[in-house]
Amino acid sequence: MPVYGIKVAVAGADSIDYKLPDFELVDQSGQLINNSSLQNKIFVAEFFFTSCPSICPKMQAEMLRFYEKYKDNPEVLILAFTIDPARDSIAKLNDYAHKLNIESSIWHLLTGNKDSIYALAEHFLVSATEDPDAPGGLVHSGNFILVDKQRRLRGYYDGVNEESVTKLLEETDILLREK
Amino acid sequence: MNLKRIIQALLPFTLVIVVVIFILNIITHGSIQHPGKSSYQTNCAQCHGDNGEGVKVLIPPLKDADFAKNNFDSIPCWLKNGISHPIMVNGVQYDQPMYGLKMDEIQIANVMNYLSKELLNTDKQINSLQVKEILNGCN
Repeated sequence: MPVYGIKVAVAGADSIDYKLPDFELVDQSGQLINNSSLQNKIFVAEFFFTSCPSICPKMQAEMLRFYEKYKDNPEVLILAFTIDPARDSIAKLNDYAHKLNIESSIWHLLTGNKDSIYALAEHFLVSATEDPDAPGGLVHSGNFILVDKQRRLRGYYDGVNEESVTKLLEETDILLREK
Repeated sequence: MNLKRIIQALLPFTLVIVVVIFILNIITHGSIQHPGKSSYQTNCAQCHGDNGEGVKVLIPPLKDADFAKNNFDSIPCWLKNGISHPIMVNGVQYDQPMYGLKMDEIQIANVMNYLSKELLNTDKQINSLQVKEILNGCN
């Protein structure tokens, strides 16, 4: 499987792979999620917001397939970043998690500083922007991004496309076998 | 032989027979797509699912939904203005807001007829004039 992003040249060694930077956000149960929470985990990331009227419900319906398959696997997590942290408080995210009937220890709905989240979207190489003309006032990529244990970006999938998400499920199995 | 005679007699009508079989096939297998189906997929399926199944307790189902059945004539206004208060669908409360959509009265009539026939299993049908009249009375 490919490794996405630009390699960085270093002195006296081969160039190193692109990796996600450190981040620290809070999930729907108030738990702090940072690098140590991701140790020895692969995860799939998505950007969304709870009042999203357009693609989010379909994305969550597809993400539920991923959740059902991997919820008992201790090596797999889902990180969903809200791009509307002003409205998406911990309580709002908790309510949303209840509506999806998901376990907070596996599928983290994350909120925090708005600028950090938008910067993080860039690090995931996906788009998230404010647009007053869009339904809900925000536009974001519907991609699911697969990330390995070294926090390298390993796959992009269309979160509203059933076939693409089926490919995510297959490639997650491949990634889990990777040593 | 009788069979040979029959075949010889039918030979000039081959084209007609093929066409008739083709049309019967379409009718019995429903290959003609409902005019509301594509509109459903564009405007409704993203949230309510391809088969109206909904998403857990986040998005209500449309399939066999009592709320849609019992308030069928309110649907044009929901499509126009959305719904911003909690609703009960088949005994479950949903409070995720629904947003209004940009659909004209023809699209609304087609999608409602599709909903009625395919997902609600009712005989209710509506035309664009009736939809327009309801739309004029929406808040």
